[in-house]
Amino acid sequence: MLDAIFAIPGMMLILGALAVPLLPPFVRNYYMLALIAFSGWSVWQIAPGVHMTANLAGIDLILVRAEAITKPFALVFHIAAALNVIYAMHEDVKITAMAGLAYAGAAIAALFAGDFLTLFIYWELTAFTSVFLVLDGNTARSMGAAMRYLLMQVASGVILLAGAVLLWREGAGFAITALDATTPAGFCVLLAFGIKAAFPFLNGWLQDAYPEASVTGTVVLSAFTTKLSIYMLALCFAGLTPLIWVGAVMTLFPVFFAVIENDLRRVLAFSLNNQLGFMVVGIGVGTELALNGTVAHAFAHIIYKSLLFMSMGAVLFRTGTAKASELGGLWKQMPLTAIFCIIGAVSISSFPLFSGFVTKSLTIGATAKEGYFFVWLALIFASAGVLEHSGIKIPYFAFFGHDRKFKVKEAPLNMLIAMGIAAALCVIIGIFPQPLYALLPYEVKYDVWETGHVLGELQLLLFAVLAFVFLIVRGLYPPEIDSTVLNTDWLLRRAIPRVVKGLAMPVLTLWFGAVAWAQKTILTIFRISEETSRESGLVSGIASTGAAAGIFLAVFALMLLARLFM
Amino acid sequence: MSDKPEISIAGRRFIRALLLICAGLLVAEFIIHRHAYFALEATPLFFALFGFVAFCIVVGGGVLLRKLVMRAPDYYDGDDDA
Repeated sequence: MLDAIFAIPGMMLILGALAVPLLPPFVRNYYMLALIAFSGWSVWQIAPGVHMTANLAGIDLILVRAEAITKPFALVFHIAAALNVIYAMHEDVKITAMAGLAYAGAAIAALFAGDFLTLFIYWELTAFTSVFLVLDGNTARSMGAAMRYLLMQVASGVILLAGAVLLWREGAGFAITALDATTPAGFCVLLAFGIKAAFPFLNGWLQDAYPEASVTGTVVLSAFTTKLSIYMLALCFAGLTPLIWVGAVMTLFPVFFAVIENDLRRVLAFSLNNQLGFMVVGIGVGTELALNGTVAHAFAHIIYKSLLFMSMGAVLFRTGTAKASELGGLWKQMPLTAIFCIIGAVSISSFPLFSGFVTKSLTIGATAKEGYFFVWLALIFASAGVLEHSGIKIPYFAFFGHDRKFKVKEAPLNMLIAMGIAAALCVIIGIFPQPLYALLPYEVKYDVWETGHVLGELQLLLFAVLAFVFLIVRGLYPPEIDSTVLNTDWLLRRAIPRVVKGLAMPVLTLWFGAVAWAQKTILTIFRISEETSRESGLVSGIASTGAAAGIFLAVFALMLLARLFM
Repeated sequence: MSDKPEISIAGRRFIRALLLICAGLLVAEFIIHRHAYFALEATPLFFALFGFVAFCIVVGGGVLLRKLVMRAPDYYDGDDDA
């Protein structure tokens, strides 16, 4: 029984996390790393197919099942989990360390869930564990953001469960397979995934919550939830054409928000949303090349995105701010962090020889190959946008720009090690993509190194850099302003509360009226019972023994009935 | 709009190197054949022009968006749940 439980991928991390708060600080981190390494090793052995089933009250559950795309996701989730532990080693926080490890475990277990009920459990577990990371921001703002985050995450879970039940009613069972999005069941599942994948208008929670978490919490958050959702979309909705357009919109709109956002970690949250867009386009196109693109991009993206969040976290940790309007010139004090950040920046911008190039090219190539001209155009436009906010804005405003003459030290050694490993992976994948390609579900036939393609990419990126230099030199680049940028979370934070308060007035009037009426009635009942209980009253007056026994029996019978039926 | 900034010596060197590389990429355009899926893509210097223009549109779009969605930093602070 016990080995069966531990044979569930990720379960080792979920249950192992429970011991984390009990361990002394110097043991805790190595214990977590050992668990992750062991879990990674055992998950690596799992071949595609169904490995564990259970029958619960007549329902067949598929507890462990691997698909062709499971291995790359499981591997990169383990890498991210390990990087998170190393990055947070300077801290002594028991609860967040425990929550972070359990969160990673739940996400890994979810990858291997073969039915929607099992998935639902882990889906909610990722929500409940990760909310501690947002709460760890330890401010009034992070408290509010955490509650809104939890609301959206749990809503996604409930909708997923509704979808699962509808599927069951349709006679399809609970198995996770390709679904038809036009049925109510399929649509519910799509919506549940869409919330966690931050589809347009469902995205507010991401930019709201992630930047409010602690220095280390944001890094942990960036890796799992959204990519788990991408994975599930790829399993259930590959080839669903509307997703191409949803994804294209996702790549575009965050780009403009990222230009004007001042909090650099929030800029990265918009950027994360834009990257998910590329993956969703790949799922929508649904060809072998496109799905390879989505999986490869998710893999590379988790590493360079967490590298970028780590570098901004280090800046926040040392200077106490991540606001572009207050930062600048840090390359002198934090040269290594600056170099790692730049490696992350050129990777996400997909410069040749870095990881973004060998992965994003597959998706963009797939849209071109299938003849989606406008989508293709949108994606290369969005690529110039990525260069703007993640490639240039992040490193420029933090490490260059106005020199704020900070008197700070370089990031702690453990942070540098975590960033160094992530940066090394970005370069290694960029130069030697073959091992990553070998993990993909289909054979990669696309030649990313084709000279013309490399030339086009370099022209696109370097002339965009030239445009940046032109705008800066001419004084046309908009200055950074400390501000709040309205996003779709405005609906949850401002519009809905106002509307509810407006609607609540009549309801409250009714309520207080009803309460006043009830109070009056109760007082009347008291008065009557008082009157009837006097010596000469109806109830307490002298009566015959038979009548008393009759009343007693009636009350006893009533109590019996009440006990039986309530 | 911000004032024109002073450009450091390192900054000038960076700009000079960038201009040189861009010039090289323009020359390469006429030496290396780019395989194109779409007619527009086959236009000479398509990616160079598109990169420059797209970047300007992104920044310009951001400036316009600011008029629509930018609020004070404490915009939400008075709300019940902060």
